[in-house]
Amino acid sequence: MNNPNASLKAGPTILLVESHIIEQENFAHIAVQEGWHLVICNSGIDAIHWFNKNNKADLLVIEEDSAPLNGYQTADYIKAELGLMLPVLITVGTVPTQQELRVIAYAEGVIKKPFIKSTTILQINEILEKFPERASIQDYSYSLNYLRDIFDGHEESVLESLELFSTSVNTELEQLNVELQDMDYNRIREIAHSIKPSFEMLENETGRSICHLLNSEAEEIEMPGLINDLQLEFASITKQLTRDFPELKIGR
Amino acid sequence: MVIKSLEFKLTKDGHEVLIAKDGRVAMKFLKEANFDLILTDLMLPFVTGKELISYIKKNSPQTPIIVLSTSTQENIIMDAFNMGVDDFITKPFSPNELSLRVKRFLNKT
Repeated sequence: MNNPNASLKAGPTILLVESHIIEQENFAHIAVQEGWHLVICNSGIDAIHWFNKNNKADLLVIEEDSAPLNGYQTADYIKAELGLMLPVLITVGTVPTQQELRVIAYAEGVIKKPFIKSTTILQINEILEKFPERASIQDYSYSLNYLRDIFDGHEESVLESLELFSTSVNTELEQLNVELQDMDYNRIREIAHSIKPSFEMLENETGRSICHLLNSEAEEIEMPGLINDLQLEFASITKQLTRDFPELKIGR
Repeated sequence: MVIKSLEFKLTKDGHEVLIAKDGRVAMKFLKEANFDLILTDLMLPFVTGKELISYIKKNSPQTPIIVLSTSTQENIIMDAFNMGVDDFITKPFSPNELSLRVKRFLNKT
């Protein structure tokens, strides 16, 4: 693992458009290990909405057959209409032989799926080196979109949920340290499983990915580092929540 | 957070909701009353979701069960269906999807 503690916030921002959950998980696993700040969208339209709100990312990785806009159309829109000059990699099931011109016109290269750690990292790092101008890191530790949706815009319930997130996840993170000392790795997996939805509800991809790793394929030796990363991410979220909602009992 | 949001959504949809904070409390509720629908996680403290499902299937087999889980692993989902659960929703759930699925099962009963 490449010093994930230092790189989680300093790494490039990559926007992945991928509709298959397994491939999302594969990519997220690689992103956590490489310290890439990952944003996942389910479609090209979602990606365009994200760029409209956030403006900057270092790389767009989008599936060729995304719908309703495919990868090329989305790349074209983002570059031509939004005027963003970020590199684009198109993900494909098989390396295209007849679409070379389209790749040249709209994207900087292709990545073959399934995402395999070694080749994916290599290709992405090559592209990032070619486009060294780093997008500024956006302050998007959390989003209230999902909570506002689920609570039908009832702001009081949204705010109560934020307090609940702060207290309940904090308790579980403290418990993770206890279980780590006791080397109860099964219990660590259970706790990660239980708090994963809390990070998902705040649309925090880093927290979600770390919880997923802890709950699934992380080896015991990786757990201390991942738990530390998770605690840093939680601290980042609560710091921002405290700033945005000083009236709430966040971290108190 | 998930429980709070579930309770909010289901109550808003006009359902009466009883929350069990763990499997042991759920078992107690099940012994004391009948329910039209059970929503449960598989990973519960004290009494696991699987034990809870087995109990419901034995004592109240007509009660529909929806499993809420963060898991997208096919084998876990298949295990749940093999135990006789009626539906599976991954967390965090889509509000409209939850409403529709709950409504579907309650209309059947």
